[in-house]
This record gives sequence, C-alpha cells and structure tokens, in this order.
Amino acid sequence: MSTHIKILRQVLSKYSSPMTLNYPSGVDPKKKYSQIPEGLRGYIERDEEKCIGCRACYMVCSGRATKYFDTPEKRTIQVYHFRCTYCAHCEEGCPEEAIKMTKNFELTVTDRNDPKAFVNTELKMLVCKSCGKSYLPEKMQKRALERLSDKINAKVKDTVVADYKKVEGYCMDCRRARGVMLDTHTKKHVWLEVV
Amino acid sequence: MGIINRARIYSPWLYHMHCGGCNGCDIETLAALAPRFDVERFGIQLVASPRHADILITTGCVPRQFIPMVKRVYEQVPEPKVVVAIGGCACGGSLFYDEDPENYAILGSPDLLIPVDVYVPGCAPKPEQIINGVVQGILKLAEKGAKKDSK
Amino acid sequence: MADALFTIVSAVLILPISLFLGVIYSFLIRKLSARFQWRVGPIVKMYSDLAPLIGRTRIWQPLYDILKLFGKDTVIPANSRKKLFVYSPYMSLLFAVATIFFIPFPGMPLLSDVPFSLIIASYLLIASIMFTILGPVASGSPWGAIGARREVELFLVAELGFVVSLFAMAFAKNSLSIWTLASNMESLPAILLTIVAGTTMFAAMLGKLHIKPFDMPEAECEIVAGPYTEYSGKLLGTYFLAKVFILYSMVSLFIAVFLPPFSSSLWWLPVYALAAFLLVFLLSVVQVLNPRYRIGKALNWYLKIVVPLAILSFVIAFALRMVA
Repeated sequence: MSTHIKILRQVLSKYSSPMTLNYPSGVDPKKKYSQIPEGLRGYIERDEEKCIGCRACYMVCSGRATKYFDTPEKRTIQVYHFRCTYCAHCEEGCPEEAIKMTKNFELTVTDRNDPKAFVNTELKMLVCKSCGKSYLPEKMQKRALERLSDKINAKVKDTVVADYKKVEGYCMDCRRARGVMLDTHTKKHVWLEVV
Repeated sequence: MGIINRARIYSPWLYHMHCGGCNGCDIETLAALAPRFDVERFGIQLVASPRHADILITTGCVPRQFIPMVKRVYEQVPEPKVVVAIGGCACGGSLFYDEDPENYAILGSPDLLIPVDVYVPGCAPKPEQIINGVVQGILKLAEKGAKKDSK
Repeated sequence: MADALFTIVSAVLILPISLFLGVIYSFLIRKLSARFQWRVGPIVKMYSDLAPLIGRTRIWQPLYDILKLFGKDTVIPANSRKKLFVYSPYMSLLFAVATIFFIPFPGMPLLSDVPFSLIIASYLLIASIMFTILGPVASGSPWGAIGARREVELFLVAELGFVVSLFAMAFAKNSLSIWTLASNMESLPAILLTIVAGTTMFAAMLGKLHIKPFDMPEAECEIVAGPYTEYSGKLLGTYFLAKVFILYSMVSLFIAVFLPPFSSSLWWLPVYALAAFLLVFLLSVVQVLNPRYRIGKALNWYLKIVVPLAILSFVIAFALRMVA
C-alpha cells in the first residue's frame, strides 16, 4: 500500500506540466518543438563547386547507396536516400570536403522513384585524344595538378609538372601504349640529383 | 466531407508488423508512442490485431521465409487501408540488398509483395519523422475513404 | 396520463443524454490516465496551426472511434458459427441500452419506480456481458476462446460482490425499487453501511468495467486482442458502443444507490456531475497505479478481500434492520 501512495504522489506531481514535445505544431513558443542534438546526421547535401568527381564516396559507401554513371559527355554521381545508412563515411572520406550531412530529417515520399530522394551531381568529362573514351572529370585533373604543384619538393617540381603536361589528354591505356614516345622522366630526376 | 470520412482522419489505428530486421526502427516507433512524442494526442492508437487496424506499419527487410506471412497479414486488414514503410530497410533494402547475385536469405523491401503508400527513409528514422510519415498516411487514408464512399 | 407522457418523453430524451455522458466518461478515463503518465492525452483544444486539418477538439474521441469502425469492411471468418457471431454484438447493445431506462437521472425517474427495478437492472447488465462471452466463443479462434474463458471466471467472482452489496442496501431500506433507494436521505447509522457496501461495489465495478488490475480478458498483445480478435468493422463498433452504455449505467447506478439524494431531482444536477467526475477520477487513479493481474491472482483477491466485505455489509444491514 505504501508503494502505491509513493507512486501516486509522483504521478500527481507533473499533472499539469506534461513532458510531451510539441512536434507537428510550432505555435507555442514556450514549449519545446523538437529534440535535435548537435551532431545529428540527417540527409546528404553535396556542394557542386567543390566536388571533383573522384568517386571516393562510392568506394567507401557502406550501404551501396552511392552510384556513378559514365557517359561520353558527363559523369553523374547519385546518392539514393532509401539505401543510405547515414554512417557519414562519405563525409569523412571526401578529399575536398564537398559532402555534408545536414540536420534535415523531414522527407517522406509516396513514390519510390520520386526525385526528392536522389541527390545528383553532374561533372564534365575529358575525352581521350586517340581512342575517344571519356576517362577523367575535368575538375579532377585541375585539382590533381594543383595538389602536385603544392606539395612537391622545389628541386623536382618543374620536371614533374612538365611531365604531367605531356601526358595530358590521353586515357590510361593510350598512355601506356605511348610510354616511350612521350619521353617522361621515370626516375631520371633522382639520378640527376645523386649523380 | 461526410462525418464518417472525418472520423477516419480523427481516429486512425495502427498495427505494427515487424518483418525481420535489427529492431532499431521498432524501438523508434514505440518511442513515438511514449510520453515524450505522444501521438495519442491526435487519436492514434496501437491495436493488437490486424483486423482492427487502418494503417499497417512495416519495419525491417523481409527474409525469404517470411513472404507468406506478409501477404496474409496484409489481406487481413479491412479496407480502406494504408501501408507505411519505415526505415531504410523497408524502403529499399539498405545494406542487405544485393542486385547480382541475388541474396539467398533476404528479399528486400516489402513493396515487392504488397503496395506501399508512404516511405519514411532513415536509419533509424527519428520519432518526429515517423509522426510526419503517419500524418501523410492519414491524409491518404481520407482520400481512399472518400473514393470508397462515393462508389 | 401526464405521468405516462412524461415517462415516454424522458425515455426518449435519456438516449442522447446517456450517449453523451458515456462518451465523456470514457474520454475522461483516457485523458486522466494520460495526464498521470506525464503526457498529454486526447487534446481538448487543438493547436491552432493544425486545427483546419485535423479538427478543433478531441473530446468526442470515443465517438469518432465508433463512427470510423462503422465505415470499415466487416470480415467474417470462415470457420465461425456465423449466426451467433453476427448477432452477439447487437444483442449486447440491446441489453445495454435497455438497462439505462431503469436507472434514474436527476429530474427523470424513468422506469426506476417499478417495485423491483433493482433486480431488472442487474440482470440486464448480466445479459449484456453474457453476449461478450458468447460472441468470441463463436468466432472460431483460439485467442477468442482464451479471452472468453478469462472473462467467465472474472465475471463470476465480480458478480458476487456486485449483487451482494446492492442487495445489502435494499435489505436495510426494505425496498427493491431504485427510486426508493435513490430518493431518501441517509440516516446516520446507515453511513457505515454505505461505506462498506460502497467499497465492495467499487471493487466489483473494477472487474466489470475491465479497469487495470482486472483487464486480463482483453489483454492486448498478450493474447492478441483477446475476445475481439476476429471482430472488425461494424460488429466491433457495436461492441464498443455497448461498452459506452455499460460505463454510463454502472456510474449512474452507483450514484443512485450509494449516494442517495443526488439522482432524485433536477436541483441536484451539479452535485451529480461532481460525484460522477470524482468516481471517474478514482477509476483512472486505480487504472494508472496497477499492473495487470493473472486470472488466478484476481480470483484469489476477490475471494479473500471482496467477498468477506460483502458478507460484512450484509451483517451490518441485518443489524440495522433489527435495531430500527
């Protein structure tokens, strides 16, 4: 009987101030609307300026939600929110920090192929001079050149950049086929130093 | 709107069917019915038998041995009815879905077996998202009810 | 002649009044249980930005549930006894509605001044509950059979306390008509009898209305909705409507027999409302504080505590009759 009285007292203590959140209605400013913690991982947003199309997000995705489609003109990277597990591996693995997990959590659709559930990014592709296949997005090449120029040792920098400019425009197979003709330095610059 | 169609919006009853899965979405669904995100404010109740329900909530991706049960429970819910698929697994199979070769144990989303009306993606979706999805389901239920009444 | 006319008019008026009051009591039990659990129950005044979409108030929530059920398809299982399955809810509703004519409401004595209206009212209640046992048995499902068996056992012991406490009050006042019991003020030595018999009747009400320690017949999810597992659509709606009328009948029978002058004339109407609210408040407090008992434990509790109290109330009534 005494436990019943203790419970009764606790039960009557919050009779007029319930702890419910006011979720669908935002009218009363005094009551809390919704509980959104700091690091909430909501839906995905990709910044089109920063993305270079390197497909690191595709390789790291744990739910196989990110896919890429290559056509001769462009590359499309697509995230399908229905397969995503919101693990944020793509955010961690992107070298340009183009993907962000926003705090948005309100997306309900009635049709499986609704465009709201997809995030598409399109990038222009470079085409090989000799065989005509598309091999690399344009932005990726520009960014690769910038990174090369930043972090290479000053003594060998000019040689490396000049070599890169010689192979520009050829896809990987054609580059291998023309290896000798293009006359790139493999390790000659190192020997030049030592000798 | 007739009084009976309005009553369908004012008191929708839920039946929660768990078709395989890790139970994360089930815990979030039951949290939506708990005091913090109380949905009984809007008249939504959890019922114990599919024959009493209007809205069928499915969570989890369907293993191949569960296929006849999903069809049986769907057929036991009387018209008008709405199916809401909650969670990434119920929407598209999430991690467990293979395209080729096909998985020997997991079929994927229940919408390969029964017609699903509302999808709520998330892993696991927040209780607020679930309330959002159920409210859309209620509006669809009113449409279906109006069509049934006018026939 | 005017008397007969007044009775007919009040009999027609009591139907919407009892439905209205039954729905309000049912809503109050849900709302108070929710408030005691630190949450908001069915909303009385809906938020202003959602009101155009989903209505302005949910006070009539139990009525909306019943109306929605009337709009759904009815599914009749193939291996059930069809006639008994279909007719049980209607018979249950019929007897529940017939009961309300024998219980007085402030300002309307209705049929309660018939000389033995107490017996008629309690037997009609028994008949109504009997059809909530027969219907599930006829449904051909094992969950229905388990629910019906639990209902039979609970009903037998709760009925004992119900009947003995009512008849103890009738014995002390030397009359079986509810109107006589309801219209005389209590004399001072009879207060003790009212307290003991009232407690017994309250405990019996918990069993008959399936309030929390004793809701094992309809144990949801334990036996998949219990007796109502195979019911759907308008048959289920009829059962819920019968439950609303039974709730009204039990509350007003308690006030008529155990709180005497409050049901007799129209001037007592505010006090009647207050007494009904307090009774419903007590029922929700008991509902919130208790878990669900097993059927053996419930029988034990009734046989050890409620039946001795009932016998005690009968002894006090006998003593009062000897003295006065």
